[in-house]
Amino acid sequence: MNNLAKFIAGIFMTLGIAWLAFVVGARGQYGDLAPTSSVLEEDGSIPADADLYPIALSGVAQQGAKEYASLGCVTCHTQQVRRVETGFDVERGWGLRPSAPRDYVLQEHVLLGNSRIGPDLANLGLREYSEEWLHQHLFEPQSLIPSSLCPPSPFLYDSVDEPASSDLSISGEDPEVVRHIRPTIRAKRLVAYLQSLKQDYELPEVSFIEKEVEEGDQEVVAEVIDTDDSSKAPQWLQDQIDHGKEVYMKAATGGGMCFTCHQTNGEGIAGQFPPLAGSDWVLGNKERLIKISMYGLMGEIEVNGVKYNNVMAPPGIPPGSLTDEQIANVLTYIRNDWGNSASAVSPEEVATVRASLKGRAPMQMFTSAELSSPVQ
Amino acid sequence: MSTDSPEKIIDRSAKLVFSFFISSAGLWLLIAALFAYLAAAKLTDPFFLSTCEYLTYGKIKVSQANAFVYGWGGNSIFAVSIWILARLSQAEVRGSIFLVFAGFIWNIAITFGVLGILDGHMSGHEMLEMPTEVWPAMLISYLIITFLILVVHRSRQIRETIAPQWFILAALLWFPALFLIAWNGMELNPARGTLQTVLSMWYGQSLIWLWLTPIALGAAYYLIPAILGRTIDKYYLAIFGFWCIAALAPWSVVHHLEGGPVPMWIPAIGTVMSIAMVFPIAVASTNFHATAFMDIGKVWSSLPLRFVIFGTLSYTVSSYIGVVFSLPAVAKITQFTIINEFHFNQRVYGFFSMIIFGAVYYALPQITNREIPKSAKSFHFWTSTFGVLLLLLAYLIGGLTHGVLAGQPSLPWSSSVIQSIQPYFIITKVAFVILAFSQLVFVVNVWRVIFPNPVECLNNLKKEASV
Repeated sequence: MNNLAKFIAGIFMTLGIAWLAFVVGARGQYGDLAPTSSVLEEDGSIPADADLYPIALSGVAQQGAKEYASLGCVTCHTQQVRRVETGFDVERGWGLRPSAPRDYVLQEHVLLGNSRIGPDLANLGLREYSEEWLHQHLFEPQSLIPSSLCPPSPFLYDSVDEPASSDLSISGEDPEVVRHIRPTIRAKRLVAYLQSLKQDYELPEVSFIEKEVEEGDQEVVAEVIDTDDSSKAPQWLQDQIDHGKEVYMKAATGGGMCFTCHQTNGEGIAGQFPPLAGSDWVLGNKERLIKISMYGLMGEIEVNGVKYNNVMAPPGIPPGSLTDEQIANVLTYIRNDWGNSASAVSPEEVATVRASLKGRAPMQMFTSAELSSPVQ
Repeated sequence: MSTDSPEKIIDRSAKLVFSFFISSAGLWLLIAALFAYLAAAKLTDPFFLSTCEYLTYGKIKVSQANAFVYGWGGNSIFAVSIWILARLSQAEVRGSIFLVFAGFIWNIAITFGVLGILDGHMSGHEMLEMPTEVWPAMLISYLIITFLILVVHRSRQIRETIAPQWFILAALLWFPALFLIAWNGMELNPARGTLQTVLSMWYGQSLIWLWLTPIALGAAYYLIPAILGRTIDKYYLAIFGFWCIAALAPWSVVHHLEGGPVPMWIPAIGTVMSIAMVFPIAVASTNFHATAFMDIGKVWSSLPLRFVIFGTLSYTVSSYIGVVFSLPAVAKITQFTIINEFHFNQRVYGFFSMIIFGAVYYALPQITNREIPKSAKSFHFWTSTFGVLLLLLAYLIGGLTHGVLAGQPSLPWSSSVIQSIQPYFIITKVAFVILAFSQLVFVVNVWRVIFPNPVECLNNLKKEASV
């Protein structure tokens, strides 16, 4: 301790051993990870024509990653799905599987983050948010999620008086006041980056987590529907119900993806997504249902006496894209399954409502207050 | 001159350097306090200053951490280390002008670093956010200062070294090593993928455990016996405690990566070593508290010592809490929550800063021969204590709420989980206002002693320059 040289040697040795492990050792262990295919041949080689993952970000998304870093998004958002035994991330729907070291090898700056005041973003690109939704969220998160703490970034947008078709219209609590904004190049980069965030492939070392409970549910529902004595319904109604069910269950372009929130059994998720089975909203006023199916719904609502506060983006992939016929079918379906029985909705009725809403900005979600006020 | 005691001569040689570093540290403390308030205010009202691109929440939060650790932490470390080592070596501080010059560079580098963060040039890696352009200036100025401090230590009169010297010297030397490792792994020879995260996590946490912590422990080992006039109880344990920290701390810090996309052995080792950290924590708190409680009346009546003992108690409590939170079962709940803020503030404010406050209040009157009014110090102590406790309690309870609610996947994220911890953000905002006020009192206390009369001071400088 008294000899300075020996002392210095000692303290650097203790530090050096940790350095050897965490820096040199870890680099030796997985510093040369490279993209690979989802499934390897038996001898461990990559099949000849297989796709390699992860995929490099597009140029514009890479620019967006820089914006993400420079604005300090990482202060509140992580980009890592933890292993199932150490966290609830997969259960929360933040990813199909835990993140693996290989997912990050092509990123220039890896921003895993260590604080979650906002949700995890490792799979934001899988959550079917449209470009418009993301832009509106960046511009003013509170216009979409009223309780959000995410700071608005109006400096990424130019406000315009004469909107072009590519501009966004945003209305706040007062629907009369509509602001038109035009994304700057930086906003576009950032949105491209956010949409590119997805770990939607399997790797040899990690596969998707099966949600066993949900699959079980699906089978049960399928059985119930198969054994349903639906022959009593007239053929045209049965067709509408069948087509409507397709829209309800389809989670690809042109589908409605309704089941992801309201579940295949129409029960929703307690406290989060309201049920459709036996719901006073579903069995009640058709016009209200049609409006929600076109524009979505946000804010507090009461279903069968239970309060919900969440955001339902305009249904459809891409959002708000369901046709009059699809809306008529899917509404007819939800009004006539899971024990529900109510009159069918026709495409003409939908068209009438659509015409009455002419001029309403696309994606502008309804609120409960707006829907309960008398129709003009 | 000949009548002056050796202490007086040493103090006089350290006066310029100590005053320079501690007054710069004070300025950084105020800047950090302002950032802390802005960040807390933005969390309670997202629209607050939202149109200003330079002041996004992310940028402010990061700037605050950097201003606090490198600005306040760095400058106060230089001041306190120089003075304590000079006193213990019974040697005068030499090369003051170089020390001040290097100190200027250090401060300018951090100023540009923080401005760079606000201007959008940040990397996003923990405690390495400042633009790489300022890193060389930081490292070079740091090495100059450390070299001159080592020169003081080398010229010591007594060959035997004691605990404060080990801790302070080790901290001074660990920083450049950590910094070089991080620089190499991030910039010169960049690591790929999540290796970056392992490295930045290791660096950022080690900075607290191997730089701020040993300095504060060293200062406590010096101040407690010096003020109480008695030796450290069970002093023979100190060497064990020192080497335990040296050997275990660099391993324990990576447990924050639990469950993440890194090899599993990394957080596993971190957890094991975190648990082993109970030994050095126990040693330090035994040494400090066994000594202090022999004469608790004196501890209470001496304000510098009261600050120091608050810091050491805080160290003990926070370190044990840190051990508990590193256990996988607990980490599952607390990981990624605002408990992180609890840890950071507990360490850098409740522990490190409080001991530095004590050290400054003890050293400054001796160095400048001017007393700081007791009421002003006392006011600073009580506002700091209250502010820190309020802040930590809010982060602790808020963090546990955050973790427990986040672990229930049926609760929607922002409308339920984050909404529930909103009240705690309001409390932290209040706490940061109190702390900012308290820090202002500290800085005024210090500046009034260093620059009792600014006009006269300038004239003296002019005279000295003309001579």
